[in-house]
Amino acid sequence: MATIAKPLARPHAEEHEDPRQYLMHDPLPRGQMNAMVMEAMHETNPIFWGITGVLAAIVLFALGYEWYILIMQGQGTAGVLRPDYWGVFLVNTVFWIGISHAGTFISAILRVLKIESRRPFTRAAELMTTFGLVQAGLSIFMHLGRVWLVYWMFPIPNERRIWPDFHSPLMWDLMAITTYLLCSTMYLILPLIPDLAMVRDRTEGGWLKQFYRILAIGFRGTEGEWKNLTTAMNIFAFAIIPVMFSVHTIVSWDFAMASRPGWSSTVFGPYFVIGALHSGMAAVAVVLFLLRSSMKHYKYFIRAEHFNTMGTLMLLVSMAWAYFYFNDYLVPWYGGDVWDKLVQEYTEKGPLAYLWYTMLICNIAVPWAFLWNKKWRQTPWLLAIVGLLINVGMYLERYIIIPVGVTINRMPFTWRQYEPRIEVPMTIGTFALFLLLYMLASRLIPLIPVWEVQEGQEAHMIRKIGKAEISTLSDME
Amino acid sequence: MSEAITLLAMFKDIEPASEGIEKLQQLGLSDDDMNVISGIPVKNTILGRPSAITYVSRIGLFGAILGMFLGIFFIYGIPYLYPLLVGGQPIFPVPQGFIITFEMTMLGLMGFSFIGMFIDSGFPSYTPKEYTPEVSEGKIALLFSCPASEQEKFIDALKDAGAESVAPAEARHL
Repeated sequence: MATIAKPLARPHAEEHEDPRQYLMHDPLPRGQMNAMVMEAMHETNPIFWGITGVLAAIVLFALGYEWYILIMQGQGTAGVLRPDYWGVFLVNTVFWIGISHAGTFISAILRVLKIESRRPFTRAAELMTTFGLVQAGLSIFMHLGRVWLVYWMFPIPNERRIWPDFHSPLMWDLMAITTYLLCSTMYLILPLIPDLAMVRDRTEGGWLKQFYRILAIGFRGTEGEWKNLTTAMNIFAFAIIPVMFSVHTIVSWDFAMASRPGWSSTVFGPYFVIGALHSGMAAVAVVLFLLRSSMKHYKYFIRAEHFNTMGTLMLLVSMAWAYFYFNDYLVPWYGGDVWDKLVQEYTEKGPLAYLWYTMLICNIAVPWAFLWNKKWRQTPWLLAIVGLLINVGMYLERYIIIPVGVTINRMPFTWRQYEPRIEVPMTIGTFALFLLLYMLASRLIPLIPVWEVQEGQEAHMIRKIGKAEISTLSDME
Repeated sequence: MSEAITLLAMFKDIEPASEGIEKLQQLGLSDDDMNVISGIPVKNTILGRPSAITYVSRIGLFGAILGMFLGIFFIYGIPYLYPLLVGGQPIFPVPQGFIITFEMTMLGLMGFSFIGMFIDSGFPSYTPKEYTPEVSEGKIALLFSCPASEQEKFIDALKDAGAESVAPAEARHL
């Protein structure tokens, strides 16, 4: 006679997974791990230098020659004209600031929450923050036109004795982005110091030894040095989170503070922050795939579990983005203001409606369709494609908000469809510069925070409870 | 009192290193006379050592206060120097004040914490120091000073605790 009413399920294959598949439970001797990271840094091939050369040529052409043309001939070479004074340069600014949010999110928030799977890719994400902000800064300068007058925004009186107006959202933007760029660069440098010391120790003679000697600033790893370093890192991890939120909120206020249809929205702040995280997370997934595929030994450090973590975060952020987008969409739709209605109709049914539908597909349909399944999330190439599509969607979202949004205003006689001109090669230039900086950095600094991985492995143990091997974590920090 | 000598003991792992520290403490060596060098941060309680003192948070706090005052100057001092009326808003507004003051406070906090880490650790420093690159390979180094006449006693105690080697520490360029 059966003792239970229902038959028991057969053990699922996933229930017997080996804990050693996780990086934290698969330690290697530290010397070997250091050697692997060093080898990945030093090993290059002609393809690498070929790509680097092509990127450098694009950067020289787009950000050298084209920018020279823009400066000499003026903003008329760009597609900006009444009423579309805000064009692709500002789309790029918002896009790159969004990309920069991933570094802080992964490195700071996941550090504060002690999510262990963050360890091997915090630096890759932090580098995205710094390099992304460089592109954002360049894009603002492109938009400024007369870049040599940028000092008019500094808190000093200019030659006409006019001080900058700190009541303006544009000044808030300057202060927030400057703060974020400086702080995220410092936050990148801090955990890099012990790894630079490791590279110094393993580099034999020559100018490279001197180079790393200077960069490692005399770090040895004494108790006092670690205490100071970890204290500073903890301060940064907590303090940079509200700065990250403030940056994109303030970027959103550049739009929301204007009483323009489609822009004047109270939900713009959090909506922009979530949008930034959406594109940033997706970009990290793409970068992780590229690093894993192109850097020697990185398959040891970047594993299926990390793609799973990223995929889960991307799915959650996608849902949050959909929620905020619906909020931002519904209220003006319900309110029935004639100008808001016109903006919405132009977006959905106008000549650029295909951008709106592509945005919704890339930002919502694609992640929801592919990221609910753990096996798919753990597939690096699939996650990279989803990440790429999300970034296409998020770029389109910014394009719809800025040049498409300004097309419809309260003066119908000014309506005109924006068409980018010199902005196109210069935009390609920012993407090329981002990749170029990343490629050069991959040869100069360890993209894996080795000491953080080793610290994590030291703290993790496998404990047998009953018939199962369970992962346990000691509080070593 | 005899002349002091600085010795460097190398341990394979944390366990013997903490044993070694305990032995040194039992031999009467003060905690101030020893230092642990490691490739990853090790909690002081694991090693049985008092916590290292750090001034980074205090320096950071000072920076935050400085940044806050700078932010207040930007938002309230500059309109005082050059009053600019925009959109009927007051010259000295409170809501905008929060934004600039917040940004500058955070910049001050993090900037000074960063600088504080450098100052408190004595970075950058390129003078010769007692160190061995084996530390970055995972070994733990215990650096300590003891009377030269008693060094054998200390060396024996550390070897009993599991030290791989104990030798006079040499300052060298890193």
